[in-house]
Amino acid sequence: MRGAREVWLAAGVGAALLLLIAVAAIAIGAVRVPIADVLRALSGSGDTSVVAIVRDLRLPRVLLAGCVGAGLAMSGGALQGTLRNPLAEPYLLGVSGGAAVGAVLLLALGVSDPSLLTLGAFGGAAAATLLVTAIARVVGGSSDTRLLLMAGVVVGAFSNAAILVVLADSPPERIRGALWWMMGSAADATWPALARVAAAVAILGALLLWWARDLDVLVLGDEPAAALGVDVDRAARRVFLVASWLAAATVAAAGLIGFVGLVVPNLARALGARRHRPMMVVSGIYGAVLLIAADLIARTLRAPAELPLGAVTAIIGVPFFLMRLRKLAA
Amino acid sequence: MSFLHARLTAHPLRYLLVSAIALTLAAACSRDTGGAKGAGAVGVSTPASHATGGPVTPADTDDFGAPLPTDARFASRVVSLNPAATEVIFAIGAESKLVGRSRWDEFPAEAQKITPLGDGVRPNLEAVLGAKPTLVILYAAAENRAAADAFKNAGVRTITLRVDHIAQFMSLCTRLGIAMGAPERARQVADSVQRTLDAVRAATRGAKPVRVVWPLWQSPVLVVGRGSYLDELIEIAGGENVFHDMSAPSPPVSIEEIAKRDPDVVVASAKTATTLRASGPWRAVAAMRDNHIVLNDPAVTGRPSVVLGMAAVSLARALHPELAGSLP
Repeated sequence: MRGAREVWLAAGVGAALLLLIAVAAIAIGAVRVPIADVLRALSGSGDTSVVAIVRDLRLPRVLLAGCVGAGLAMSGGALQGTLRNPLAEPYLLGVSGGAAVGAVLLLALGVSDPSLLTLGAFGGAAAATLLVTAIARVVGGSSDTRLLLMAGVVVGAFSNAAILVVLADSPPERIRGALWWMMGSAADATWPALARVAAAVAILGALLLWWARDLDVLVLGDEPAAALGVDVDRAARRVFLVASWLAAATVAAAGLIGFVGLVVPNLARALGARRHRPMMVVSGIYGAVLLIAADLIARTLRAPAELPLGAVTAIIGVPFFLMRLRKLAA
Repeated sequence: MSFLHARLTAHPLRYLLVSAIALTLAAACSRDTGGAKGAGAVGVSTPASHATGGPVTPADTDDFGAPLPTDARFASRVVSLNPAATEVIFAIGAESKLVGRSRWDEFPAEAQKITPLGDGVRPNLEAVLGAKPTLVILYAAAENRAAADAFKNAGVRTITLRVDHIAQFMSLCTRLGIAMGAPERARQVADSVQRTLDAVRAATRGAKPVRVVWPLWQSPVLVVGRGSYLDELIEIAGGENVFHDMSAPSPPVSIEEIAKRDPDVVVASAKTATTLRASGPWRAVAAMRDNHIVLNDPAVTGRPSVVLGMAAVSLARALHPELAGSLP
């Protein structure tokens, strides 16, 4: 059972890293606060400013980044499993495009209320994924996952076009707002926003873990899977939908953050988590670690200015992915 | 927020939206605050230049370095795709020569009667040429260089101007006055603005500066930086911009950084103030917790134009109510 030990080790190291990076991210910021004061502020005592900074700014932000990272990574892992393609990620499949259309449309109309934007993004993404599965079903009728992939790419491309049309007619400052949103950021973290994304990650993530066994069987191929009693078509479609909605919830909370859903599941597999359930658990942990770390970099590297979170994840992710590619090729 | 129309040259950014490469987007985002070539370059930070604004291009060339008309011979049919210029043209009484404007030109209200010809950045060349202009006034953003060249090739004279600082507004008045054939009237407009600004500065001299943060946008949080005329207005009105060290006109900053710099007051429009009061994260800023909000009217402070004097007066009144008697 060497594999199982590897997975436990990966999960354990990941959990320790998660704790470490979370504490560091809550302790580090523009305002220098001694760690003892940070801990006291967490429980609500101490200087009013420090309490406000720790409890209203840093804590929701760190937790939101963690939830978004975990959600994206689990979504990516599930999509890679269901599409049997290690390059699948939520943003390739129309989710981001749909979410962006929903949110950018509202931004262009002058809506700036965060909860409405969240709703718009989620609605857009959910609609786009429904459209993707509908297209795949109408075109193919069978359980060919390549159709899902291609339908996702097409819906994504169409969404991009729709965004350009909407933005082409918007005043520049709204374009800047929309653009910032499309680059991803945890800066707008508030407790209500955190509650929404945490609930989505908990519920949809649990569903994906519940169905993870089906994915292990799907990997064997359609016929063996059917022989083992799995309704291949249904299993693929429901995992696809739920994984997409999970990604949509993260997009609604923090905008478009690429690469996490692509890189982290591959990292989890490299760490020895081959079966889907442990792979998604390990992915969730490392996704949270990666995004909290990326957000820490985003708000400290060029302080007092902030970097777009999506750019930081890509900068971290690309070298890693290149290394992984080399290993795959070898 | 209409001053953002003029200053954020974000339009070309939309071409980048297709690209998923966030890195490019980040670079583009920081570029639009850096501004175009020419006089648009952000002001030097020495106290001396801060008092009068940024560097000013010599009066015989426009902000792309092209020679300026020395009289009004090109002014028979003018298209202004530059909101600040349009407003000044009305102020100097030369609006009868306008045959087109950009769709962002909102002031004065009478400007609405002029035919809109599309965007002010990367303008629709055909639409503009269709108005048969003899002179096109462009906003001096790098994205407009191609348009300036195209108009020149079509035999149409252009003047490209940019206003990030108060001194540039004065220079815009002078140049437009000459080009539109109303130099005296233009000087009166500029002098009147300058006199008001001087009077406000004199009235607030000696008062203890109020430390100010001025958020312009909320997601991302953009604040007034040194590159903006609003930074100069704060100083004239007896304030001190806590983000004066940042050279961009509207740098993105974190709320925690604002908390760290601990301003005395937050300057905001009524609409922004409502949003900020309801925001959890903004509670980290002591001035917000204590409700030290100074309201401003974006219709007055929102653009570096003929209302600059009025903007300085209203800001000084808000920052220093005790000086109300000595202000213009």
